[in-house]
Amino acid sequence: MEVLKEKVEEEEEAEREEAAVRAERGEKVVRPMEVRREEAPMTQEMLRDLERKLSDTEMAIPEKLSTFTKDTIAISKLPLSYQSNTLKEEHLLQVADSFSRQYSHLCPDRVPLFLHPLNECEVPKFVSTTIRPTLMPYPELYNWDSCAQFVSDFLSMVPLPDPLKPYQEGNCFDFSTLLCSMLLGAGYDAYCVNGYGSQDMCQMDLTRDVCPLTVKHQEVVQEEEKVPPKKYAIKPPRDLTSRFQQEQETKKQEEIKAEEERRLREEEERLLDVEKAKTDPLHGLRVHSWVLVLSGKREVPESFFIDPFTAHSYSTQDDHFLGIESLWNHKNYWVNMQDCWNCCKDLVFDLGDPVRWEYLLLGTEKSHLSLTEEEEDGLNDDDDVENLGKEDEDKSFDMPPSWVEQIEISPEAFETRCPNGKKVIQYKRAKLEKWAPYLNSNGLVCRLTTYEDLECTKTLEIKEWFQNREDMLELKHIDKSTGLNVDYFKPGHPQALRVHSYKSMQPETDRIMEFYDRARVDGLVKREETSKTMTEYYRGRSDFLFYRHVSFGDRVKKLSLNSAESNPRPIVKITERFARNPEQPADEDVAERVFLISEERIQLRYHCRDDHITASKREFLRRSEADNKGNKIVMTPDMCISFEVEPMEHTKKLLYQYEAMMKLKNEEKLSRHQAWESELEVLEILKLREEEEEEHRLTISIYDTKRNEKSKEYREAMGSPQADPPPPPPPPPPPPRRVMHEEHLRQVEAPLDYLAPFLAQLPPSEKMTRWQAMRVKDECLSDIKQRLIDKANLIQARFEKETQELQKKQQWYQENQVTLTVEDEDLYLSYCSQAMFRIRILEQRLNRHKELAPLKYLALEEKLYKDPRLVEFMKVFV
Amino acid sequence: MNWLYDSVEPRVMDEDLLKLAVGEQGPRDEAGQLARQEGILFKDVLSLRLDFQNILRIDSLWQFENLRKLQLDNNIIEKIEGLERLVHLVWLDLSFNNIEAIEGLDTLVNLEDLSLFNNRISKIDSLDALVKLQVLSLGNNEISHMMNIIYLRRFKDLRTLSLSGNPIAEEEDYKMFICAYLPDLVYLDFRRIDDHMKELAEIKHQYGIDELKQRENLSQAQLDDERAQREELEEHKAAFVERLNGSFLFDSMYAEDVEGNKLAHLPGVSELLQAYKDKFVIICLNIFEYGLKQQEMRKVELDTFNECVQEAIQENREQGKRRIAKFEEAHLLSLNAIRDESEVTNLEMKVAEHSKDITELFDMLMTLEMQLVEQLEETINTFERNIMDLVALFIENVQSLMAQCRDLENHHHEKLLEISINTLEKILKGELDEDLPYDVRALFVDKDTIVNAVGTSHDLHLLKIDNREDELVTRTNSWCSHLVDAIHKDEIMRNRRRVKEIHQYVDHVQNELDNLECSEIID
Repeated sequence: MEVLKEKVEEEEEAEREEAAVRAERGEKVVRPMEVRREEAPMTQEMLRDLERKLSDTEMAIPEKLSTFTKDTIAISKLPLSYQSNTLKEEHLLQVADSFSRQYSHLCPDRVPLFLHPLNECEVPKFVSTTIRPTLMPYPELYNWDSCAQFVSDFLSMVPLPDPLKPYQEGNCFDFSTLLCSMLLGAGYDAYCVNGYGSQDMCQMDLTRDVCPLTVKHQEVVQEEEKVPPKKYAIKPPRDLTSRFQQEQETKKQEEIKAEEERRLREEEERLLDVEKAKTDPLHGLRVHSWVLVLSGKREVPESFFIDPFTAHSYSTQDDHFLGIESLWNHKNYWVNMQDCWNCCKDLVFDLGDPVRWEYLLLGTEKSHLSLTEEEEDGLNDDDDVENLGKEDEDKSFDMPPSWVEQIEISPEAFETRCPNGKKVIQYKRAKLEKWAPYLNSNGLVCRLTTYEDLECTKTLEIKEWFQNREDMLELKHIDKSTGLNVDYFKPGHPQALRVHSYKSMQPETDRIMEFYDRARVDGLVKREETSKTMTEYYRGRSDFLFYRHVSFGDRVKKLSLNSAESNPRPIVKITERFARNPEQPADEDVAERVFLISEERIQLRYHCRDDHITASKREFLRRSEADNKGNKIVMTPDMCISFEVEPMEHTKKLLYQYEAMMKLKNEEKLSRHQAWESELEVLEILKLREEEEEEHRLTISIYDTKRNEKSKEYREAMGSPQADPPPPPPPPPPPPRRVMHEEHLRQVEAPLDYLAPFLAQLPPSEKMTRWQAMRVKDECLSDIKQRLIDKANLIQARFEKETQELQKKQQWYQENQVTLTVEDEDLYLSYCSQAMFRIRILEQRLNRHKELAPLKYLALEEKLYKDPRLVEFMKVFV
Repeated sequence: MNWLYDSVEPRVMDEDLLKLAVGEQGPRDEAGQLARQEGILFKDVLSLRLDFQNILRIDSLWQFENLRKLQLDNNIIEKIEGLERLVHLVWLDLSFNNIEAIEGLDTLVNLEDLSLFNNRISKIDSLDALVKLQVLSLGNNEISHMMNIIYLRRFKDLRTLSLSGNPIAEEEDYKMFICAYLPDLVYLDFRRIDDHMKELAEIKHQYGIDELKQRENLSQAQLDDERAQREELEEHKAAFVERLNGSFLFDSMYAEDVEGNKLAHLPGVSELLQAYKDKFVIICLNIFEYGLKQQEMRKVELDTFNECVQEAIQENREQGKRRIAKFEEAHLLSLNAIRDESEVTNLEMKVAEHSKDITELFDMLMTLEMQLVEQLEETINTFERNIMDLVALFIENVQSLMAQCRDLENHHHEKLLEISINTLEKILKGELDEDLPYDVRALFVDKDTIVNAVGTSHDLHLLKIDNREDELVTRTNSWCSHLVDAIHKDEIMRNRRRVKEIHQYVDHVQNELDNLECSEIID
């Protein structure tokens, strides 16, 4: 500890805590201290309030977060550690006070330190003890980005009317304290920072930021590795073009490019000017708190800042961070002694360097001094005193444990995330809305609206994310400018739909459907439709088909009574392409076949041989079935025109061609049928989509006992009374499938019905006659009798067998006694004793069975008499 | 029922009979009409049925090259013959004949289904070539020995076997034995073998099977070893240094050397010989290793060359394909345009234009090809030079190593001569203590004899070394020249094929245009 001579009022420090301190720097002299002091407790309360809420899952956090009055906080309910200080904490506070006094003496022109704000119980608490490192039980919160996102969603930020008094709300400290606790718990080297931020940052004003969701990932073009030319690589043909001309050309193009660039730059500058807001008069004075993550732990390669409001990470060079006063974690507190004239860009985050970072407590592990000490003006005298102090003070004083209760976030709160389960963020030309799952009945969890202009009046596109939809819809993308809708699905749609982009749900219009081809029998990947064509792409088919294109003609108007459905559009042309089938020679493997249905022609193109550049072709015409005289023409040589790369004898034969043509005719029929079926499927999918859109049912996991009514009932029935039922949100009706499943489970659990097999034998009429009842009873009894007898017999048989064997062995022993070795004799003796043991046990069992059997029989009989199904018949009888 | 046919005059399998059968069994209806019009070639027939024809001798089937299925059941055939050319046969039915021995099936490697039901066969034999056999029907024959079953173990794909009606089927152990020794069999005598039966059989014949398996494994291992050795030798031969990885050459030098062997009995010679051998073998090993290394280098060189050439050809081919695809599009369009054109002047213009296009395509493709030829020629020449250099270097180095061998031999010769003469002197003086065998002593009569003997041995050794060297050099050189020739020839063939292909394609396209023109003019 450094001991400085001058004393500074504690109140000042308290004020600093309030977080506003920086902003006040300019006015510090002017303002009376009392005013500031009054404002102080509020922030602390806020802080406490939040922590308390977090720790108390029973309280609905979202509702209360926005109200910050003292009344809402039941102070008496808080644990003792909130209301008083321990001895150690008192000691720490004294230390902090003395530190602060020295500091303000040495640096009178700097703002007092933010060391121990009052909490909601009006008790001063040192900032470091407010941090409670906690590892959350949710795996999602293990990494800093998701953690930060969660904190920014979980707490709501109230906009501040007066930028000079941010401490009235001041919850950027709450944000960073909570985030810091979680990050430390997850193993990061994280610190709360007290410093100055830009206006946008302090007010959580994202309207000038580009929404991260709208930023498209730039495709990284991978440079193809240039293979060094091999030894025998052929030389390229000689280049015969004029070099001069090329040069002229490139020159010209460069000029054009430069022109273009200049224009673009000008445009950009203009835009920037428009967008640039008026300069902030309080620039550099706005107090903000954020989180610093230092490199080293958890494989963080480089130190960075996290703004807890937005959950964005920034480099330590970022323009938004204008300066740092101090920073702390759960172990120590450091004051920045570096100059922040150039924002945070020149800061060195080497906390072991006492010249740059003045620490409050000794003995933490942050003692690495990586840089050689540099003499800095104005700080030299500090060092001496510091060193003196170090020697005097107790070096082993360490931070008392956190007074805050363990941060707990209930699963519901975790799932709800945002206060009220809803959050709206305004970005530059974009608006992002978030909802908790199951809050909206259609499963909507997120919506991003992008606007054309800065005022957000003209909608450009809307993106909606969904969760837990039964139809597996994941994302809906509506482009307002083109009117194009794109739906994205997760795996599991009944028609294996993956992406559906359309302008209207009317059939026979432009649309693209993509499918999960592995889930489909036909391996369909994509189907593109326009008003006149349909193109299908396949993958992984055993017939090697990968492309089918169908063109339709105009629908023939029919005067018939039939409805429109039975009047399919006539097919003009079907083109099918096949991948190479390695089992067939290339000359017989069709690559493309075109059915020109209206012209009655079939064109085939075969695959190209590996060492050829031309491929065989064949064209079949079937112009006339009969010649002029009415004779039926089977096949004439001019009906098949073929070009063969390597002419073969057998293909010239008419018979071969005739057979090929017959086969193709059949295949044409099949293809037409396929096209027709595809059309039907489109209609079906469209119908299904419409139904799904209307119903928008949500799925609920059977493990989710809070939402799944049936599952809950079942669980309670199973007898787990200790599970207190929290108020369930409105549960949608579970699908019948699940009911059946649970019914089945219950049946399995039911006790064994001893009458069931006999009852099952009866005819399934409604009522049992008395005679039947008697028979059932008798059968049941005789059955158990039989079983008992069987069991007795079994035991008896084993008993006898064992006895016989023993006798045999004894006999053998008697005969060979003389010749036996010692070992054999031992073996025999041990066998005998074992056999005797077995025989005795069997005997005992048999006896017990004899005793128990009549009792068992009687017990069953009695049970049967009392059986509710038989009782009425029995009564009469008895 | 064979007696019935015995009384009838046997028929000869001649052209007419086959033609009739083919005609009857050929395509029907419209296709049949076409077939009759054109006639069916025997080699196009895939399936032929010749049952109940009273055939005595299989004949005239050599034309049916592509036959897959042949039925010759219910005839009076006595000998399996004339089926050698039907290598594609999958299905052969020879049931209800008078065959006595299985034979003449050695070329039918694709056969999967063979039926010899109701014949007079007594021994399962001569089926070794039928590696794909799945169904074998041998019922109603005269097979009497159980050991015939073991022969069937070699057919890994055999699933169905019928042997009922044979003497062995009468034996009580029949089923068990077959199940045990043919564990992959699924159907026996048209009944499925159940798993229980299999288990029982296995237990029952476990010892026999284990023994058999052991023997089979041993012989298999032996075969594998032999093959591995052969392969290794092949590899060494490819490097031209076979048998140099040991004392083979040295041993061969002394194998025919009578005098040398005799002289080995002299005192001190055996040590000399041992030292000589050690040194010699070391040089041999050097040659051997050097040869393998050089072989590796040559291989790498050749692979690189082939790869590069393939790449070049592929790229050229892709270019050609692209050109043709582009042309084809234009071609279709302009053909349609010409077809639709009615005015004669326009028509002519268009036709001319299109002809020009075709010529252009031809020129373009030819240019590509010529370019490739030039490029490849250069590459091939470079390769030729390099490989020649490599080979020359190899030979040179081997020769120098061989020269070392010769030096060793000379050195050894001198030493041996010295010892021999010393010994001779000793013998002449009668100072020799040791006893020499009689035939060795016979050499030491006078100086000439002994010098001659030593000289003969020496010459023989040198001859052996020279021979080995010559062999290596000749083979290496011939390999090199063959390789280069083959590369040149391949390239020429490739070029011819491509040029032919281009011509053919362009002709075809031109023809299409001409036909169109003709029809237009006629119209």
